Amino acid sequence: MIPSSPFLCVITDEVECPLSLAEKALRGGASMIQLRHKTACSNQLFSWAVKITTLCKEYGALSIINDRLDIALASGADGVHLGQQDLPASAARKILGKSRIIGVSTSSAHEALQAESDGADYIGFGHIYPTHSKVKEFNPLGPETLRSVAALVSLPIIAIGGITIENASLVIRHGATGIAVISAISRAEDPLNATQELVKSIKQGNTHE
Amino acid sequence: MAHNYLHRTPLPRLFLISSGRETHVDGSLLTEQLKQIPRSMDCMVQIREKQLDAKQLFLLSLKAAAIASSTKIRLLINERADIALAAALQGVHLPEKSCPPDKLRPFAQELIIGCSVHSPESALSAEQSGADYLLFGPVFDTPSKRKYGPPQGVNKLGTICRSTSLPVFAVGGITPKNIKECKSAGAYGAAGISIFENDARFAANLEQFYNALYQ
Repeated sequence: MIPSSPFLCVITDEVECPLSLAEKALRGGASMIQLRHKTACSNQLFSWAVKITTLCKEYGALSIINDRLDIALASGADGVHLGQQDLPASAARKILGKSRIIGVSTSSAHEALQAESDGADYIGFGHIYPTHSKVKEFNPLGPETLRSVAALVSLPIIAIGGITIENASLVIRHGATGIAVISAISRAEDPLNATQELVKSIKQGNTHE
Repeated sequence: MAHNYLHRTPLPRLFLISSGRETHVDGSLLTEQLKQIPRSMDCMVQIREKQLDAKQLFLLSLKAAAIASSTKIRLLINERADIALAAALQGVHLPEKSCPPDKLRPFAQELIIGCSVHSPESALSAEQSGADYLLFGPVFDTPSKRKYGPPQGVNKLGTICRSTSLPVFAVGGITPKNIKECKSAGAYGAAGISIFENDARFAANLEQFYNALYQ
């Protein structure tokens, strides 16, 4: 269910309305939307999740819910994305069954291998470059670390952290199947156009191989 | 099925809500207090620790469930039906602005689902959405709830109780002395956070609450 050719995942934030951001991202060619909003109440999250999932189906994209399996199940989303401080993937799998996607955020080879043995469908890996979207406790991992982890795990890797139209194709060539971005789209003057440009440079990364 | 058992059996009248003071999952206040609840005492305990992340809540829930497994305690968790399922708890308690019960029920058939309500309108919508019980408050003045406005009072508790066929639990400033008033207003049971806040008198307070509810 995860696209096999390089793709873009757009993650929502608290800056822009998730629904409106998702719509622009999907029109711009994103293949996966991750609904992530840490302050909204859960009936609001549920309502966004339902609408974003409907939109994703129209565009042939995947809808993923950050942290909340309950919201993912209630809304019929395609899956969940779990951080290291969320429910373990092994516990999540028992509730979600095999048909839904589970992604796990990782930032080391150890975490990546753990996610794989816990039954994840993809791993998030980063941050690759410096980023201001989230407060970070460690230095950027860089594309070479990405390459070494990609050689260790067989799961698709979605790279995250400071990825732009300039470096996206390089990141793809270093073993990422997908690229995830937050502020590159949500804080862009024109999120639709920014998505289109990013998708274009990701596809270029593929052709250079 | 566990679902049938839980939903056919009347709910306990005593409802304890955790202190919100858990800082870590080892040797926690909650698990120590759960051990002090008599094995035969029918009660619900809500794990409500908003400061913990999902992983910590899951680990705490597993510990609590292990302690409660040989007792009549039914464990619920605040808001997170997914964690309730993952840790095999008996239920989930939903704050007023949560995902509605009927959206959770398809994948949480075995769970007790309760709802906080603050008006007859939200009581009605919770009932129509398939909630198993309602929680209404703050009925009396209580320091922990002052930020949510003035106490609602026993009369309003009565209005809520008359507006629904679901069991209503009164919360907020409940003491063994005013439980009788709540019961007269139609409350099915009572919930207390403060029981968990006084470590030294926990067991004694618990028994007083329980006796007042079943008198």
